[in-house]
Amino acid sequence: MKFNKQWLLSFDWALLVIALAVCAIGVMNIYSAGLTLTSARLPLYIKQIQWILIGLLFMALIITIDYRLLSQYAYFLHGFAILLLVFVSFYGYATHGSQRWIALGGFTFQPSELIKLTLILSLTRYFSVHGVNGALYGLKDLLTPLAIVLAPFAFIVRQPDLGTALMLLIIFLSMILFVGVRIKDLLISGVTGLLMAPVAWYFLKDYQKDRILTFFDPERDPLGAGYHIIQSMIAVGSGGLLGKGYLKGTQTQLKFLPEQQTDFVFSVFAEEWGFAGGMVLAILFLFLVLWGLKIARNARDLPGTLIAYGITIMLFWGIFINIGMVLGILPVVGIPLPFLSYGGSSVVVLMMSMGLLINISMRRFILLP
Amino acid sequence: MMDMSGRLSGHDASDYRARFRRLFALVLIAFVVLIVRMAYLQLIRGDEYKMRSENNSVRLRKLKPFRGLIMDSRRRVLADNQPAFDLIYVPSRITDIRQIADAVAGVYAKRGLNLSGDLPPLGKTKPFVPVRLERNISLEKTALVEAHALDLPGVVVEVAPVRRYLGGDVISHVIGYTGEISREELEERESDEIGPGDIIGKAGLEKLLDPYLAGRPGAEQVEVNVTGRVIKSLGSVAPVSGLNAVLTIDFDLQTVAANALEGRAGAVVVLDARDGSVLALVSSPSFDPNLFHGGISQRDWDKLARDPRHPMENRAVSGQYPPGSTYKIVTAAAALSEGLVAPETRFYCNGSFTLGNRSYRCWQRHGHGWVSLHRALVESCDVYFYNLGKALGVDKLAEYARSFGFGVRTGIDLPREKPGLVPTREWKSIKLKEPWQPGENIPISIGQGFDLATPLQLANAYAAVANGGILWRPRLVRQIEEADGRVVKQFPPQQIGVLSLSAPHLEMIRRGLWGVVNEPGGTGGALRRPEGDVAGKTGTAQVVGMPRDERAQRARILSDRFRDHALFACFAPYRQPEIAVAVVVENAGHGGAVAAPVARKIIDAYFQFKRERETPRIAPAAPAAGRDGGKRQPAEGQRETAREDGEGEGEGEDED
Repeated sequence: MKFNKQWLLSFDWALLVIALAVCAIGVMNIYSAGLTLTSARLPLYIKQIQWILIGLLFMALIITIDYRLLSQYAYFLHGFAILLLVFVSFYGYATHGSQRWIALGGFTFQPSELIKLTLILSLTRYFSVHGVNGALYGLKDLLTPLAIVLAPFAFIVRQPDLGTALMLLIIFLSMILFVGVRIKDLLISGVTGLLMAPVAWYFLKDYQKDRILTFFDPERDPLGAGYHIIQSMIAVGSGGLLGKGYLKGTQTQLKFLPEQQTDFVFSVFAEEWGFAGGMVLAILFLFLVLWGLKIARNARDLPGTLIAYGITIMLFWGIFINIGMVLGILPVVGIPLPFLSYGGSSVVVLMMSMGLLINISMRRFILLP
Repeated sequence: MMDMSGRLSGHDASDYRARFRRLFALVLIAFVVLIVRMAYLQLIRGDEYKMRSENNSVRLRKLKPFRGLIMDSRRRVLADNQPAFDLIYVPSRITDIRQIADAVAGVYAKRGLNLSGDLPPLGKTKPFVPVRLERNISLEKTALVEAHALDLPGVVVEVAPVRRYLGGDVISHVIGYTGEISREELEERESDEIGPGDIIGKAGLEKLLDPYLAGRPGAEQVEVNVTGRVIKSLGSVAPVSGLNAVLTIDFDLQTVAANALEGRAGAVVVLDARDGSVLALVSSPSFDPNLFHGGISQRDWDKLARDPRHPMENRAVSGQYPPGSTYKIVTAAAALSEGLVAPETRFYCNGSFTLGNRSYRCWQRHGHGWVSLHRALVESCDVYFYNLGKALGVDKLAEYARSFGFGVRTGIDLPREKPGLVPTREWKSIKLKEPWQPGENIPISIGQGFDLATPLQLANAYAAVANGGILWRPRLVRQIEEADGRVVKQFPPQQIGVLSLSAPHLEMIRRGLWGVVNEPGGTGGALRRPEGDVAGKTGTAQVVGMPRDERAQRARILSDRFRDHALFACFAPYRQPEIAVAVVVENAGHGGAVAAPVARKIIDAYFQFKRERETPRIAPAAPAAGRDGGKRQPAEGQRETAREDGEGEGEGEDED
């Protein structure tokens, strides 16, 4: 690949800087959330920094590979990620009653995070090859995309990692709505899916069923989700306008908050930095999303648009659902807050996604070889 | 239509731009929703939430599960739970522990009671983190605290089940005890369910079986008032009781074995020779595990930890003793298998054995005269075995010792088992950085010198000799059950090795062991029952090395600490062995005189219990017996007759 000076000129520094700023806020916040937790070993904020650095390496790697090449090999990449997923469901490392990690040296990795990215690439590949010449996509055209999403979906539900499974469905729906689909056909497939559910139910183990039921009905577990929401809202609300100050959130430091380094990390931030801090973070996130959409709009070809759109919409839903949950307007589902929640695989995949956005953005003026 | 790769084929640019405009709008609306909600919570209701966070009134209270029961093989409960109350302080305004402790002490003083036990570190604490002021408080104190609730804001009484050990100090080393999880232990655990202040198994089976016994804590979400008292429950998840464990131990036999030691320091191990089940495992002196429930007081702990007799140590598995003459079966097995001696080979014993410029004495100063293998075992002639040791050399002997299970952990289900020591040339050059001396082959042939074995290894080796050569893993836990008796997990007997010894050779050694007890001149005469059904070997382990002169010998007698350990290992009945017993009594003198009578009591008791339990064959006891393993019943009937056969045999041999 020949070096192109234009790439450097059109390198999306703004995106990188904003993403890194949010990462830094995340690390600082995880430090506070973990301050009084007894479990020793390596503190999570150090691990998070390590993951961010690993993520930057992958980001650099992805920027150098033309995204068209990635989309060309999308099915292969997706297949590979699914293989990892299958591997994990047999040999994986289980914690918190869910088997979703692969151990690599001292690090563990969740293939289900990677699947989000390969799903976007694969759907992009499908829709950019199978055009329908102006018409909307019908049911028949959606069979392959459905297979692309349902293959990993089944394994992820089995783990069970319902948050990620839900995210895959949301990405899928957002993508097909964007390329255009006949509403009637969408309804038909939706109804069929619902009818198929009891069959799938039959294959699930009791504890998996239990988790799914709790997922839809948090009242089933009054100590889990219900408790989480109350404490989370107290934390956010008590932050007031300016917050209680860094490392001074009582809800956080007294461990009233559940999952305070992962799913509920935003309540830690909101408690300590108040409405002012929350606004700053919201604006940074808004910038990232809008910037991503801009890259999608200005991409030079359809694959570029679809990839950038897919990544941005994944980012958007992650932010909206997580914060909505913490603020008590959406049900408690296990979806992490991008860049702020602790999670190695999630951070690495996010950095790779940012790499892809930069990739698409800086190649927008270049003619095809 | 925009280029060859097909930009959203068929859609014109304006339609396309409109799609992005709608997206921008959607994203903006979503963010506005979030920000409005945030403003509502933080700006409009901020003060209210701030107050709620300050005296956070919703708490998650842990509900402690009951630990599983531990039962002996006849389902007698050895460890259960009893309800108890802890005094807890949940700090809110006052975060100084001393202040609240003084307040509690003041209330107690009205009735002449004291705030006992070890207080947590006095001083400032973090608000809302519960602190335990006192464990296991009396009903009187409970009532007193409840009555003075208003004077003691934040002080609450919580129910906390406490372990009760019905087996007491008779079986404390096997059962172990529980205690509050330590900081280090907390860090080792991955699980979220265990937190500071939780009770876990600390020693013995309580520690090893903790994953089964512990159960799962439940939790209750409660709303509390300013004084920390629960106003209402908002929902709860019930705790799940732990699973029950059924042991192979026979508590009657355990009690007999514990009493037989009469308080002297030592250990007894009784194994079922047929499958390695541990019927009794005693270490003396012992401790009362009930001292540990709900935190042992510092004074009691110091008394236990500083006791020079080390009551906390489980001598049966962690005590390493020179096996003395009980080890001669290993030397005999090695010499027979290597073809160094035949049954008729004789050596002359004049009371000592000379190698180079050193001489090694036989315990019988006047010598045994010409002795064959059989008589050498019966009379425990040291010189005979010195000759074998010299011919075998250390490494050959070690090879056979390992096949008897010496020098490696047996793998019994107890923590802190020691491997003992079987010396080899390689071991000495690595550990002591010295070459092996030919003279060192001599003491190790009679279980002295570097040789070390645990009482458990000794019993296990004799069990293998008894059952025809199979080395079993000693098994303490038979099964894990649900509360309703449904078996969750079984621990079947497990074979870990085979003696490297041919059947005829093994029979020669077994016959020698029978002679030790039943023939004239045998050192184990104390075990000579009318049935003539015991076979065993005495041992006397010197605590200090071979004495060089009389002065050393006298010094040894003067100081109790340097007196010899008495050992005895045996099995019975001789023909169809059922049990193997090893006894070690520390600093007590000769094995035949001290350890053998202990073994006698145990073997007598074993056969007495067996008779008593078998007599009411059709009586109501039958279903109870059937529960702990129905298939055992008929098998024992067969053995009863077989034992009588053995008796006849035995007498015949005596005439020989």
